[in-house]
Amino acid sequence: MDNNNKVTTQVIETEVPMGTIHSAALEPYRLRLFVEDEIVRDAELTIGVNHRGIERIMEGLPVEKANSLTEKICGICSNSHIWNSCLTAEKGLEIDIPPRAEYIRIIMGELERLHSHLLYLAHGSEVLGHETFSMRLFYIRETVMELLRMIGGNRVQYGASIIGGVRPRCELDEMRIQKLTEGMDYLEEKIGEFADRFVRDPMVISRISGIGAITKADARRLATTGPTLRATGIEVDLRRDMEQYEPFEFDVITQDTGDIKANLLMRVLEIPESIKIIRQAIKDLPEGKITNRSWEMQDTDIIRSYIEVPRGKLYHSYKIEDGRVRNSIVRTPSITNINTMEFACIGTHITDAQLAVVQCDPCFTCTDRAVQIVDHPLKKIKTV
Amino acid sequence: MNLSLKSYSRARAVHVMLVYTGGCNGCDIEIVNCILSPKYDAEQYKVFLTWNPREADVLVVTGPVTKHVEEPLKAIYEAIPEPKAVVAAGACATMGGVYKNIHGDIPSEEIAGPVEEIIPVAAKIPGCAVRPEDVLSGVVAALPLLLNAK
Amino acid sequence: MDTSMIIISLIAVIGTLIVAFAVSVWLPGIERKFVQARIQQRVGPPISSPGFMAPIKFFFKQVMSPNSPMPKLYNALPLVTLIIVTLILLVTMPQMYFLGAFASIIAVVGLLKIEEIMYMFMGSLSKSVLSVNMPFPDRVKGAKHIDATRSFIEEVSTLRAFRLIAFGSFPLYIALFVPVAMAKSIYLADIVGYQQLNGPILFTVAGVIGAIVYFIGSMILLNEYPFAIMKTKADVIEGPYLEYMSKYRAYTYITRGLLIFVLASLFTTMFIGIPPNILSPGILITIAVAIIFSILMAVMSAFSPVFTFRQFYPVVAATSILGVLAIVASFL
Repeated sequence: MDNNNKVTTQVIETEVPMGTIHSAALEPYRLRLFVEDEIVRDAELTIGVNHRGIERIMEGLPVEKANSLTEKICGICSNSHIWNSCLTAEKGLEIDIPPRAEYIRIIMGELERLHSHLLYLAHGSEVLGHETFSMRLFYIRETVMELLRMIGGNRVQYGASIIGGVRPRCELDEMRIQKLTEGMDYLEEKIGEFADRFVRDPMVISRISGIGAITKADARRLATTGPTLRATGIEVDLRRDMEQYEPFEFDVITQDTGDIKANLLMRVLEIPESIKIIRQAIKDLPEGKITNRSWEMQDTDIIRSYIEVPRGKLYHSYKIEDGRVRNSIVRTPSITNINTMEFACIGTHITDAQLAVVQCDPCFTCTDRAVQIVDHPLKKIKTV
Repeated sequence: MNLSLKSYSRARAVHVMLVYTGGCNGCDIEIVNCILSPKYDAEQYKVFLTWNPREADVLVVTGPVTKHVEEPLKAIYEAIPEPKAVVAAGACATMGGVYKNIHGDIPSEEIAGPVEEIIPVAAKIPGCAVRPEDVLSGVVAALPLLLNAK
Repeated sequence: MDTSMIIISLIAVIGTLIVAFAVSVWLPGIERKFVQARIQQRVGPPISSPGFMAPIKFFFKQVMSPNSPMPKLYNALPLVTLIIVTLILLVTMPQMYFLGAFASIIAVVGLLKIEEIMYMFMGSLSKSVLSVNMPFPDRVKGAKHIDATRSFIEEVSTLRAFRLIAFGSFPLYIALFVPVAMAKSIYLADIVGYQQLNGPILFTVAGVIGAIVYFIGSMILLNEYPFAIMKTKADVIEGPYLEYMSKYRAYTYITRGLLIFVLASLFTTMFIGIPPNILSPGILITIAVAIIFSILMAVMSAFSPVFTFRQFYPVVAATSILGVLAIVASFL
């Protein structure tokens, strides 16, 4: 089915708003769909409930406290924020990280990618209406959560990275490595079974093929990022450029069609790649200490850092003045994906529109910031 | 113990509604885990999930209540018929969490307060994020308020 | 007719109704615990909770006025639906066959139609807080299309109910005419009598095909997954039932269990030839068919997503063609 990419009727007649509190929305957002005979002609997504003023709170906090605060921005991508925040400080203060700590950070980052992708698949199945698949996926996800609890101390928000390395609690000894290996074997087997079952089910495939499709040109124009971009066929993955990922060998997965089936398959195929990286990290784990405590605080200029998180490109920046953080900016991948979500809804049925929004993996709790509108370099600047 | 048909039936079918009020989503996922994950399965304890306030008995609120969601939360609370109980889950819902209590130079002005400043709370569950086992015991702890109410 | 016969008939009718209510409160629990929970590899609730304890609990909740332009009419509709479903059970009982045309397949089809139209009335009268009236500032300066008419999600559900009435009920009605074609009469008394002489219709070719079409048709009527587009959780949350609370919601729960039982008992009457009658041992077969029906429906619904109209139209078309083939086969 072809996506109706242009709004063909100039006069929109009916609006169906779905509120902040809704069964298909994992976070509070307001979705207004403009429909004609149950086919969506235009869409508007409004966020703003999750704005808690993180950047405002961070102004003036000591650097270590600011790092642990960034973890509380989001519960699903918690490790990404604290990792990137520590990387920013280490880049600015020029601190060397021991290699064993780098490997452990990568293991935690990939475990987070696993749990985030499994949650995406489970939520997508629930919006499809398939409660059984959703429960099976949540059961598989429990293994990853138990591994995170074992290494980090908590299932969600464990704070593994600190400036200079990793917390002493996250040391990997024999028993933990054994459990990690068993966990990876179990996951690989179960996700393989699930993927087989998923692509063979005719009812599910007829529901997701060809719906909510985005072409390559549209994805470039709308500035999509992350797996949603790779599902349209463009191969961009920041992990190829990050120096922490250099010793590891993995493939960058792409799909062609950019519809819901491509997006779901992207995540299903990225899971074995993450398992591959974790296995390599366990095998080649270097010896040594895991924290570098010999560094000094200095004043720096604005430091910028980009990493690749499960949803795309994450950007942190701040400057350090007298041991405190100033002018911090956090820009998450979902803010550029909002336009993609609104665009993907067009031309679909209302029930499919919710699925088209969920396919781009929204995480609006990460995203809600104040936005400064710069009209034109010579005109006034307004702050919202 | 007063075992009338009213209190017996109220204990054998509890309907729970979830409301997300602008938190970090950690507690939300853990509570969804509690209900939809076969490992923790809340249905075996006769706790059913619903998304309709008219059907709910217990309202589970997560997140520090931001200013945009204060009115919707009140509207949903008014829509639930008596007897009802509110359970505040997580550090943000019980005392404002990190956002209300920690700041550098400028405090955040977006938080309308922990849940008990807006609607009356019957049970509080601590944790950041809450553990699924604690969520179930919190919902069960709010039950005596329902069983013997008029 | 002398008094003792009238009294015996009255006892039979009331007894069968009591048996119907008593069995139907356990059916949702059986669906949830023995089938869906087993498939989803979890423990599941006790059998009495979803169908029996939940309505009783709802009776003891506070009654508030629903958000609706005509609250009294809106609140009266579930009881009307319950009465209509009971009437369907009543006209299929053998003690009622003296009613003549009221105990024919036309009466059954008409009552089922009224039951479907109830959803449309409920949907258009329900204006819950969960869609348009949510107090959120979204129509602000710079928003798109501020002057579009806003529609509640229950109104979307009403349109879908209308589509379901228009073509979604074909399979069930075509399947109901297979025994009519074989017995060559629309009166239930004749259909039951034909099967007493020639054996159950279920054991003929036309009967088997008709039974399959009947099963799919009853899944569409009950809005079970995969045909639950009128009340899917993904967009309309609960559809027409959104504003019901306390005892009116209890009536909707009871009606659902009773409707499963009534459809199963209609199947036993039309395809096996055993009408619901407490004075004969055939009532055990009716109860067994009801339990088998709910187990089969739960198995099908646990393994399927929700169909949108893109998949719904072809499935209904294919099932209707199958039904027509069954009627043609019954003439041969």
